[in-house]
This record gives sequence, C-alpha cells and structure tokens, in this order.
Amino acid sequence: MDKRDGKWTVRIDGTSLPSRDLIGGKAWSIAHMSAHALPVPPAFVLTTEACRAYRDLGELPGGLADEVAEGIAWLQAETGRLFGPQTAPKKGLFGRKKPESGPLLVSVRSGAPISMPGMMDTVLNLGMNTQTEDLLAAESGDAAFARDTHRRFYELYAGIVLKAIGLTLDPADTPDKWQAAIAAATGARVPDDPGDQLEAAIKAVFDSWNSRRAKRYRAHHHISDDLGTAVVIQAMVFGNLDAQSGTGVLFSRNPLTGAREPYGEYLPRAQGEDVVSGKFTPQPLDTLNQSLPAVYRALLDAATTLETENKDVQDIEFTVQKGTLYLLQSRAAKRAPEAAVEIAVDMVDEGMIDEATALQRVTSDQVRVLLRPRLKAGATEGAEVLAKGEGACQGIGVGTVVTDTDEAEARAERGEDVILARPTTSPEDVHGMIAAKAIVTEKGGSTSHAAVVSRALGLPCIVGCGEGRILALQGRDVTVDGGEGAVYAGALPVTVPRESDDPTLTKLIAWAQARSPIRIDRPGQSEPADIIDLDRTPGGEDPAQLPALLAGKTSAKGGALASDEGVRAAIGAGVKAIYIDPVLPALLAALHMDHPDPDKDTLATDAQG
Amino acid sequence: MTDLFLVLHGLAIKKHGTAEEVASLMGLAVETVKAALDEAVAGGRVAEAQGKYMLTPVGRIGLESQYAQVFSSLRADATFRGHYDRFETINRDLKQLITDWQTMPVGGKLVPNDHSDKAYDDKIIDRLGTFHDSAELVLKGLAGGLARLAIYLSKLTAALEKAEDGDIAWVSDAKTESYHTVWFELHEDLLRIMGTERDE
Repeated sequence: MDKRDGKWTVRIDGTSLPSRDLIGGKAWSIAHMSAHALPVPPAFVLTTEACRAYRDLGELPGGLADEVAEGIAWLQAETGRLFGPQTAPKKGLFGRKKPESGPLLVSVRSGAPISMPGMMDTVLNLGMNTQTEDLLAAESGDAAFARDTHRRFYELYAGIVLKAIGLTLDPADTPDKWQAAIAAATGARVPDDPGDQLEAAIKAVFDSWNSRRAKRYRAHHHISDDLGTAVVIQAMVFGNLDAQSGTGVLFSRNPLTGAREPYGEYLPRAQGEDVVSGKFTPQPLDTLNQSLPAVYRALLDAATTLETENKDVQDIEFTVQKGTLYLLQSRAAKRAPEAAVEIAVDMVDEGMIDEATALQRVTSDQVRVLLRPRLKAGATEGAEVLAKGEGACQGIGVGTVVTDTDEAEARAERGEDVILARPTTSPEDVHGMIAAKAIVTEKGGSTSHAAVVSRALGLPCIVGCGEGRILALQGRDVTVDGGEGAVYAGALPVTVPRESDDPTLTKLIAWAQARSPIRIDRPGQSEPADIIDLDRTPGGEDPAQLPALLAGKTSAKGGALASDEGVRAAIGAGVKAIYIDPVLPALLAALHMDHPDPDKDTLATDAQG
Repeated sequence: MTDLFLVLHGLAIKKHGTAEEVASLMGLAVETVKAALDEAVAGGRVAEAQGKYMLTPVGRIGLESQYAQVFSSLRADATFRGHYDRFETINRDLKQLITDWQTMPVGGKLVPNDHSDKAYDDKIIDRLGTFHDSAELVLKGLAGGLARLAIYLSKLTAALEKAEDGDIAWVSDAKTESYHTVWFELHEDLLRIMGTERDE
C-alpha cells in the first residue's frame, strides 16, 4: 500500500521512512525505531502539508476528516481495540486481528520538523467518555483506574485544548462535576464524542504553530513560518490490564555509577504514572525476567540496538500490555557526574566513540562536582548530629551558625565563615544567603524558597529541620552536609579530591591536552618569567576586566581562570598558556568553546507521556 | 498611597536596592524615589550604604503598620482576591517547575541539574513559557486592581524571552532579575498587599 495514499496522512508501520520535514521530528523518530523492528505503539501522522493547508484555508482541508477516520480504523485493526463504542469497523474491512472489547485511547501530540517552544503539549487518553470508562473498568477489573484515567484526560484536555488556567479536578468527584468545573473555568465542555475530541485536539495543534512563543522563536532563529507542524496520533498502551502487563524504565548502563550493566525498575500491573506517584514500590528488572523472560530478552536486545545506533547510554521507558512489549520512549540518558566520566572513557575503550566525542560528553561543571570538597572518610563517626532535615542542595559547608540575615552578611564581609539558619527564607534573605557557606531552614521542602535559591547559588542547603530547631544552633560551629541533610557539631575534617589521583580523569586530561587550543597546566610547571598573576593584579577577580588585563600577554595564572568565562577570556585575548589547578575543568571549558551543544539528535521516540 | 509609602514598600521587596531599582519596581520617577529616600534616611527609617538602601527596624515596623489601612479596599475586593487566589494556585506550579529546572531525575534519584542536557532544559523552558501564558492572564487581572503590578509582567516576559533565546541564567539565577527572582518579588508584594503569610 502506498504510504501517501492519503493526501494528508502517513501511517507509521516500519515499511518506509518519510522525510522529517513532512512528518515532523517525533513521528520521524517513531518511524526510525519502527524501521529497526523495535516495538512501538502504532501511530499515524497528519503531515505538515495539512498544517499549511489549515493555515491557508482557516479550516481543516477537505478530505482530511475521512483520512483521520481511516487512520483510526487502521489503529483499531493494529491493536484489536475500538475507538469509542459507536465507531466499530465494518466487518472484514480491516480485520487482521479480531477486535476485542477493549477501548482504543490515543495520544495527540504536535511534532514540528524542528523542536521549538510554544507548541501544544500532549493530550493523553483521548477517546475517553463515560462508556469508554466502563469498558476500561471491565477490561482491567479496576474501576478506580478507569475513573482516574477519565479525570486525567479531562484535566489535560481542559488545560491544553480549552486553555483552562491552573484547573485541577478533585479525584473524589464524578465526571459530571468535573465537566461542570471545566465549564465554569472555560465556558466549554469536553465533547463526549471521541471524534469531536480528536478534531478539536488536531486544530489545537495546528493553532499552536502560530502561538506567540512559537512565532517569536522562529523569528529569532530564522526558521520559516511555512515549515508547519505535524500531528502524531498514537495508540495508548496500558500496563495494568492483567498479570501479563506492567511498566518500567531500563537504562542500558547504570546512570549513577556508569557501570556497564542494565539498570532499571519494573512495576507489574501498573501504569507509567504509578512509577512517579510512589503508590507502588518499584521492583528490580529481574522481576520481569522471572515472570516474562521472552519480554525481558526482547527489552535487553532493544537496549543494545538503541545504544549501538545512538552510541550513547539509553534511558528507555517501556510498557508490557497483555504480554506484548512496547517501547514508549528512548533517549540519551541523563547521568550523574561520576557516570558521565566513567561512561565516556569506557565507550572509548570499547571502540564505540572516539576520544573527541568522549570529551564532548563531559562538562567542566561535572568535573568540578567530582572535585568538590567532601567529608573525610569516617569523619562523621561519633560526630553529634545537631539537626536533620531534607537535603536540598549537595555540598559541605563549615562555619558558625547565624540566625539573622543582616548579621550573616556583615560577619561574612569581615571574613568569617557563617552558616545562615532561618525559620524560612524569602527574597529579603538572599543577600545573606549569598554571603553564607550553607543554609539551614526549619520549615519547607525541596521546592521552598531556600531550596530553590541555594541550588541557584550552588550552596549546601538543608530544609525542613523542624520548627524551633535553629535556636539551639545559634552561635555554634557546625558542619552542614547538604547531601545527607545533616548538621554536625564542630568543624569536621574536609578533603579535596585530586584529579591526578583518579585514573579515569587522568585519561581525559591526556586526551584533552592533546586537543586544547591553549596550553593548560598546573602552577609551578615551567611557568614563564613574564606570566601575569591575576590574583596579584588589581581587577583580576572581575571577569569583565579580564579581556583588557590579558591582552598582549602570553601566559597567565590566578583564580579568575578557574571559571569557564576566565578560560574563554584568556583564549579570546590570544594567551598561549594558563596555569591552574585542577586542569580538567579548564581544559573542557577550552574544548567546548566551539561546540557548546553536543548534537543530541538521536534515534529516539517520545511515544507517550 | 503616598510616594514615601510606595518607596518604603518597594524597599521591603527589593532589600538592598538602589533608587533606580525601587523606581522601576514601583513605577515611580527616579527623582521622586531619591527625594523620598533622602527624607526617609533623614528620619531614620532607611539606611544607605554605597548607593544601596535598606529599611531600618523602625522603618519596617512603620511600614507594616500601614498595610491594613492602605490596602483595605483591595483586600475587600472579591475580584482582586480571586486573581490573588489564582496566583497562589499557579505559584505551586512555578515552584515545582523551578525545582525541576534545578534538579533532574537520574536513575530514580534526584541530582542537581548540571545543564549538560539541552533537551531537558529546553523542555522546561517550554513549560515555563506555557506557565507564563497562564501567569499573564492572572497578572493582567491583578493589574486591573492595582496598575503598578503590570511591571512584573513585563519583567517576567523579558526574563522568559532571554531564557528562550538561550541565556539560561534568566530562569532562576538568584543574583539577577531572573524569572524566579521577579516571581518571588511579586509574591512578596502580594503577601504584603493581602496581609497573608508565606507558608514556607
């Protein structure tokens, strides 16, 4: 069958790879995975040509509605499920699989050839109405799940298509009450007919192409307004339908340590949102191996395929629906600094990437985190814990506890190390926070002002130690461990890791020195006589003055060169050599000057959520 | 509402602020602010150091004693309170969003976002833009009751657009008028107007 037998739609069935300009980045990724025989939920796309036609006509072009209906019929045939109780396919027309009674719900998402802000967010579970809810409840044997799916669909539809602001629906209410709340907030209701829901969502995607933010972004980046966005309509899959269903996450390597072994979690009989909600305790991947060994093997094979294709660690979200594996999303995994360094060096050793690529995958800030001061091994043994709370920002801070913001600033200006402890913080306290070595609060959690500001400042921070706790701390010398969330009595011994003691960092240093546009060494290593020492030069601590101070100099040293800006200023001024310890952050800053954003365009899909 | 009151109120929000910063926040001329600040310094209500001003304890108590009276009509205005309640509702979303900006989940653990993953950052800036569309409506509602609040909308829009253009410090940097800084100043302003307490 010709994939463009429709004028406006394309089916993603793994048999062809249409152009990115026509079907958008997201559908292209799904098609790419499909072409590698990786299992993704079936999808079809309204092309960017349909978007342009909609824009020119001011309405959906003729024939599009029929093609969408045909696309839905194809999804029904592929999944053996029905979209809305009233749209059963004619017998024998699409019948590869015998339709079951389960309802077909779809996701609707935008997908421009180039990703940009301002495009419509994804509507999930479209197709839901009272009858669908009943069918889903019967199929899953879980009426509460079906009702909750209904609610989440209404919330997304109301927020995204009807543009409701900050609307949340009470899970204890009925769909009628939700509709009333939506009508009160927006003046409109969620249509009951799945076809009407779909049409409105499609128009919302096309309209988002001309949103204020999208237009501004295109103007700023010189992207043509004629490109248009595609609409991806994909079957939803469920991980909670029976004992052969479940959902999970697989990393092709451990993203915390970098160890070369699969790492992940599996929740039998659960949906993706259950992983986030904390309602269920995730189980190790081996659970999946025990219950569905064939699915487990297919999953590991898919991870290998994706890692080999993308040449990077993959973070894969998957769902098993009635014993069938579906990959929902795969992308380059986010990783802890330790893992970033290990994985980059390992992949060179394995011949997967070259040294230059490895250096692109490690940032100067990641190395700075690895080299940050930490408590000496065993330092906390026998130490008195004065307060415990939620660690909001990692790091060690040692100093005297001060409970008044102005006093903290004044004493810090006199050269004292102070720890600012407050019941809570507000914008009034920011000047004292900047001056402190660490922040401790009595009230609040990980999103509180203190947590947010200290992360922005890179300051160790503990929040929520309990009301009335800081009074006892006032005036005491303490050690704050922002990672553990503990305040210890006294100044505990702190150690600074050395990059030359670490064999992995040593390899990266050698690779980086061979490629650096500027010589970067530790101080004392054959420094030339005419070197400028910024620590002894007036204005040498001010990044804005560096270009002028460094002009005409051949070599430089001093604390200002420890930052990325300092390194860039030295290179910009034509300096030939800088002397700084540690060297690796500076080397990486020098190397990344020309390539600030490694290209992360990968074989990936974002099929759901 | 006298100029002096507005200047002291502006200083309560922009502590350690310059005359220019207070003027821009309160929508007053710089000369007006400077004159009011000189008067307040002479009266012991404000202290000055290197061109930056802060309320003295006396100034702070004096200011706070006036709020109930100055803002009595706004506090009684059901429409304004409705917009304020919506602000508090979406404030929770903004706090979550900023937390997601600063941390990222790695293998089930939250670690500091080191901004090495541009796709992750772009997604959150996009969310911030969507959030801003809601914030815009709430702020227009608030400015309908108190016109000077519109300045926050233009500051928020400016910070968002800089972040969208790739200067990511404008999301949550604590030392500049980043989106988060301006949002918190707005929150502080509203808490004082409405006479409510921050919950954390």
